[in-house]
Amino acid sequence: MSAPLELVCPAGTPAALRAAVNAGADSVYLGFRDETNARNFPGLNFSRSELAEGIRFAHDHGARVLVAINTFPEAGNSGPWHRAVDSAADLGADAVILADIGLMDYAQRVHPQLRRHLSVQAAASNPEAIRFYHQAFGIKRVVLPRVLTVAEITALNAQVPVETEIFVFGGLCVMAEGRCQLSSYATGVSPNKDGACSPASHVRYVDHGGKMISKLGDYTINTFAEGEPAGYPTLCKGRFSTCGRVSYLFEEPTSLNVLHLLPELAKAGVRALKIEGRQRGRAYVAKVVAAFRLAVDAAARGEPVPETALGALAEGGRQTTGVYEKVWR
Amino acid sequence: MPPLGPPPPLSPVLLAGFLVRPLPPILLQPVLDLAMMAIRRRHPGLFERFSDIQNPLLVIDPVDLPLVFRLDADPLSPRLSAVRDAGDLSASATIRGPLLTLMELLEGRIDGDGLFFSRELSIEGDTEVVVALRNAIDSVEIDIIGDVLSLLGPLAGPSRNAVGVAQGLFDRAARDLQSLRAAVIAPALSQGEFQAARLRDLEDKVDAAARRPARRPAQKGGRR
Repeated sequence: MSAPLELVCPAGTPAALRAAVNAGADSVYLGFRDETNARNFPGLNFSRSELAEGIRFAHDHGARVLVAINTFPEAGNSGPWHRAVDSAADLGADAVILADIGLMDYAQRVHPQLRRHLSVQAAASNPEAIRFYHQAFGIKRVVLPRVLTVAEITALNAQVPVETEIFVFGGLCVMAEGRCQLSSYATGVSPNKDGACSPASHVRYVDHGGKMISKLGDYTINTFAEGEPAGYPTLCKGRFSTCGRVSYLFEEPTSLNVLHLLPELAKAGVRALKIEGRQRGRAYVAKVVAAFRLAVDAAARGEPVPETALGALAEGGRQTTGVYEKVWR
Repeated sequence: MPPLGPPPPLSPVLLAGFLVRPLPPILLQPVLDLAMMAIRRRHPGLFERFSDIQNPLLVIDPVDLPLVFRLDADPLSPRLSAVRDAGDLSASATIRGPLLTLMELLEGRIDGDGLFFSRELSIEGDTEVVVALRNAIDSVEIDIIGDVLSLLGPLAGPSRNAVGVAQGLFDRAARDLQSLRAAVIAPALSQGEFQAARLRDLEDKVDAAARRPARRPAQKGGRR
């Protein structure tokens, strides 16, 4: 039997944190209720006192808490980001997940004992970049972008001196994360600086004779026929008319699910598996975490991975293994 | 014009809605006030999550009932009321779905995004208010019946038993209606499956034809 991979689970609220821990999370990642994290949505995230209580609950149940401070500080206004790192350290978080090199430098100098992970928002996907983050800022773990095949992850793991964490379930981002400008272009609100991709304040759903039209700012993102499964209103998942043909230009509404690939991912040298979805409810968190807990433990015992039906939670009602099993060029 | 949102499921709620249609929704106000009092007492931080939103006024439309709920989610004085329809309300946003689905959502027993993806739930208007509401109710563990019963003091125990009996009757009625629905729509389902099989067969033939290499047009004058 091998050591189980670490299961890193999302929490947008204190209730979701408890749901994740109770369902078997090894670690929970979360953010403060402001622009310092990449899920800065209304009503979501943690106050300082909620984080303190959350850390207490997680530690009492043998789980760790990782605080995502993974947006890029505004020029001349790094205070909120520095205070977020200070709070995470003071409240006893097990690690911070960072993307900005200035913030990594601050965390290393001011809180050298605080473990630092590299966010997917840094888009580090090659050994040279990862080694730089390790040497310069003492990064202990990197969250890999969702652009690598299993074979590429295996090769990368052999060349880097840090742990790797990969996404295994949930929303897909096919863009260069931390650099995507689509949401900013459409709404003026940036996922990288403000922490909100396709902010709800700019989203409208309009019923049009049974069809549902989704709009982001001034742009129509999609028109769903009556009964057709829907997706999030992001530009990258929009259905547009080009050259006389209506199609998804970048990506269809679908969710990542690589439950059945867990044995291969373990062999690839991955240390931790991340479930996406801090913006999702605690029912999603409980169900997905429980399914992956069973699967991770079975894989560690060398047993077949039990499949759990998670399609009802998937965007557009569809699932994919994404680039992990890339069959296209 | 067809009603907006998902069609109502055949359920005891739908039938009960027909029965109570003649009654004015204002009769529900004492129950709604009691529910809000219980929720605010047990989850005092719930409406604080709306503090960044101006005038958060939501219409919650159970598609299987002949009324809608109006939620004024003001952090200081939230109020829930029932009205016949949403026509005169200038709401920030509207959420539509079957009553039981909305109740499950309120108690965090079901995933709101999943319901939205499958179109069982529809939303209109200011999405920021809807997202804030979803996150606010998901941040606390609401147990609507338990919360209300907590206000009843010594009557909580007997009331809990009565609720248990009512729940059992409701579940049985729901199962009976499902059986009835299955019997009524069985011929249509059978016909639909037949048509779907024919459609799949046709799609396979079209795919096979598309994969076949295009035949070259015959060249005049034979081989050169």
